[in-house]
Amino acid sequence: MTEKLVINFTVNGEKEEKEVIIGQTLLKFIRDELHLTGTKEGCEIGECGACVVLLDGKPVNSCLILGVELDGKDLITIEGLSKNGELDRVQKAFIDHAAFQCGYCTPGMILAARALLDRKPNPTDEDINEALSGNLCRCGAYQEIREAVKASAEKK
Amino acid sequence: MILKTPEKFTRQFGKAESKGYQSPEVWSKVTGKAVYGIDLTLPGMLHGKILRSPFPHARIKQVDTRAAEALPGVRAVLTGAELENRPFGIAVEDELPLAADKVRYIGDEVAAVAAVDLQTAERAIKAIKVEYEELPAVYDPVEALKDEAPLLHDNFPGNIAWQREVERGSLSAAFTEADLVVEERFTVPAIHPAYLEPIACIAVNDPYTGITLHTALQSPDAVREIVARVLKYPLSKVNINGPVMGGGFGGRVYGNLKVYILSALLAIKSGSPVKIQLTREEEFTAGRPMIAAVIKMKMAVRSDGTILGREADIITDNGAYSAQAPWVSKTLSERNDSVYRIPAIKTRVRLAYTNKVPTGQYRAYGNQAANFATESLIDIAAKKLDLDPLELRLKNCVREGDTTVHGLQIGKCGLAECLQAAAKEIGWDRKKAGRGYGLSAAIHANGSLVFDKNFRGASALVRLELDGRITIFTGEQDYGQGTHAAFAQIAARALDVSPVQVTVESKQTKTAPFSTGALAMRQTTVGGKAIQLAAEDLREKIFKAAAELVGEPVAMENEVLRSISGQELELAEVAYHYHSATSGLRMTGEGKFVPAESDYDESGYGNISLTYSFASHAVEAEIDQATGELIIHRLVAVHDSGRIVNHLTARGQVYGGAAQGFGMSCFEGYLFDQGRVANASLADYKIPTALDLPQIDPLFIEIEDPAGPYGSKGLGEIVMVPVLGAVANAAADAAGVHVTDLPLTAEKIYQALAGWECEL
Repeated sequence: MTEKLVINFTVNGEKEEKEVIIGQTLLKFIRDELHLTGTKEGCEIGECGACVVLLDGKPVNSCLILGVELDGKDLITIEGLSKNGELDRVQKAFIDHAAFQCGYCTPGMILAARALLDRKPNPTDEDINEALSGNLCRCGAYQEIREAVKASAEKK
Repeated sequence: MILKTPEKFTRQFGKAESKGYQSPEVWSKVTGKAVYGIDLTLPGMLHGKILRSPFPHARIKQVDTRAAEALPGVRAVLTGAELENRPFGIAVEDELPLAADKVRYIGDEVAAVAAVDLQTAERAIKAIKVEYEELPAVYDPVEALKDEAPLLHDNFPGNIAWQREVERGSLSAAFTEADLVVEERFTVPAIHPAYLEPIACIAVNDPYTGITLHTALQSPDAVREIVARVLKYPLSKVNINGPVMGGGFGGRVYGNLKVYILSALLAIKSGSPVKIQLTREEEFTAGRPMIAAVIKMKMAVRSDGTILGREADIITDNGAYSAQAPWVSKTLSERNDSVYRIPAIKTRVRLAYTNKVPTGQYRAYGNQAANFATESLIDIAAKKLDLDPLELRLKNCVREGDTTVHGLQIGKCGLAECLQAAAKEIGWDRKKAGRGYGLSAAIHANGSLVFDKNFRGASALVRLELDGRITIFTGEQDYGQGTHAAFAQIAARALDVSPVQVTVESKQTKTAPFSTGALAMRQTTVGGKAIQLAAEDLREKIFKAAAELVGEPVAMENEVLRSISGQELELAEVAYHYHSATSGLRMTGEGKFVPAESDYDESGYGNISLTYSFASHAVEAEIDQATGELIIHRLVAVHDSGRIVNHLTARGQVYGGAAQGFGMSCFEGYLFDQGRVANASLADYKIPTALDLPQIDPLFIEIEDPAGPYGSKGLGEIVMVPVLGAVANAAADAAGVHVTDLPLTAEKIYQALAGWECEL
């Protein structure tokens, strides 16, 4: 009844071949099939940004994309950002600046920030606000998030 | 093979400059490893789904579940007809796990199913046939109180869920003596806490251990008691295990009881673990937002600015069921009376049932809604009397040693200092042309001596582990506010060890000491005091055991345990000595903090809290005259929360509370269309983004308060309270007219500027 398709992709640096249910969102595929639950579900309609992942380096709301679209692409989730136990400097700066409380928006927020810094190594406050405006933080840590993103930029 | 710990990980948490200490939990949150409620699965777990009423008010004629039961993969179907028809509730008993004869709002729970996957559960829900007979409905709380209004609950005549009238001092004398009487009607919409993680719960039923709920709660002990009562399980056979919580803000004190009870009932009926997770739409349509309010308020003032008395008639909108709305209504109706020295008060508050989403609580418990009204009215009076709003506030604000109109005993109090600092910092004496400036003031309790008279305080255990590390056992919950980091710091200070040596355990009701939970801004003050006492008790036990071990007195200095002759001891040695001497016990300090009973009387007069926190906020704003848009440039937030335990997390609380205050002031709020939530998504119910917030500057007036641990007091709720009044007053100062209906949208301000008389 549920049709599936085989797709090939890279996730957090590892090559994978997997079946994906046609019609399943990338978010569900990441959480339920790849078991990478660091990607969070907050609204399922692209309004909160908790499910942001990097697809070929670009930040996307994984709840708005189908799993089949992953075919041939490179996926980075929050689990893939730190390497060999070494935190990415954005992750480190988020800790140093206490840029979160409950932490639920944090994976999406960090990946959106990472993508911004890759695109624009020295962003202004406006650049940061604009780039993160699709990521909601109900704990209201925006000020510390801005500080953390700037601090990670300056370290480059 | 032993893996080498990457050096960076250890170093990050090795710096324990106490003022900026963070729990090691932060690491799991930046790496995606933190396990939240929605992330959990268990072997053999089923997915639960709830069938909800499409009508605001209807009689249930018949429920036919045969087609749903026949679907492959469906393991349990539950309806109200098979459950005992006995209501439960938090403040008022008016809910059933599933509606039996009648539905009272669009979203009311009618049936529940458990199936092998979510898709099957959703199909099963659609296959249930319900025959309804629609009834007339009422949506407006003022209309609901009229004689001709349709009645929601037979046993609550007049649609009154709860009401209270109170008069203190002589109000008639106050109004006779007054040189000025100001009067206004304020309205505040329902507000959702909008924690980013939707509520999720896995219920497991086991013949030996009973029901275990895997769900994150601010007050797991309180929920545990209600669930045990509804299920008729012995209390020890109901336990709650808390995963990491994706935001609470008051909304997860009791969370969503229907979700916990229905997942438990489905687990019992199906024999398998059952997970129910709300969608974002369900959060808005069947969650528990904070009550909307209509506040009519009248204030008597002398020409020199002395406040003589205040009268309020308040109607709060309960929705279909009560949850904590009676308690929120009470706080909303009276806490603001204690910000100033007001000799006479008369208040009537009525909580009205309407055919809308039931209500619960939100950070600050309605104190912020009332702050909007009371602080606006003070500025209205100041303007009419041509007095400086700062001077008027300083003239009337409560001070140390006062007993307020409701009997609150004001201990250490820096409210006047907060007001002065907020005004100074925002530039009160050098206001910029074209800008509006607003001030407000607030008081908030630190835990309650009267909410449950048998649990006025808190308790904790602090244990010395065999490796010399320290574990705190507490029922107080941390979901990012920094409570546990503060507890580690408090215990570390009492024991003279580094906070990195301290771990906090709180997530299992089975093993944690009882707590009334993360509410009423009690955890740092009351819970922290219990931690301090437990750590001090452990310290004495360590000294005693160590002295036995070395045969002479010992002392702790600069994190080193040393005997008087200079012999150094490891805490692990002392732990092991005790362990072997007792054949296996671990040395544990007990902390019991039991504040004295309150003089609180039947009329609700008396001291309700151990101590109080204070704040004043100041806002600089501007109005776009062409569009009415309110542009907020800056918020200065000055707080007296005693000695600050941790500045890093304290600042975080202020930023977060200010953000939520801005949302509520400027654009948040439920919209309804014939009882249906018209903005049931984060696309339509806007919460602040990175683009929406002004510069926020937190300042702390650190007056040591002996009531709390090492002079500290609570902060997490009061941070939101003064935002509302300060924003409203700055907007009014810029516009020249007060908008009295929240949120302060461009449309409403534009209409006020244009002088349109329009009921919005």
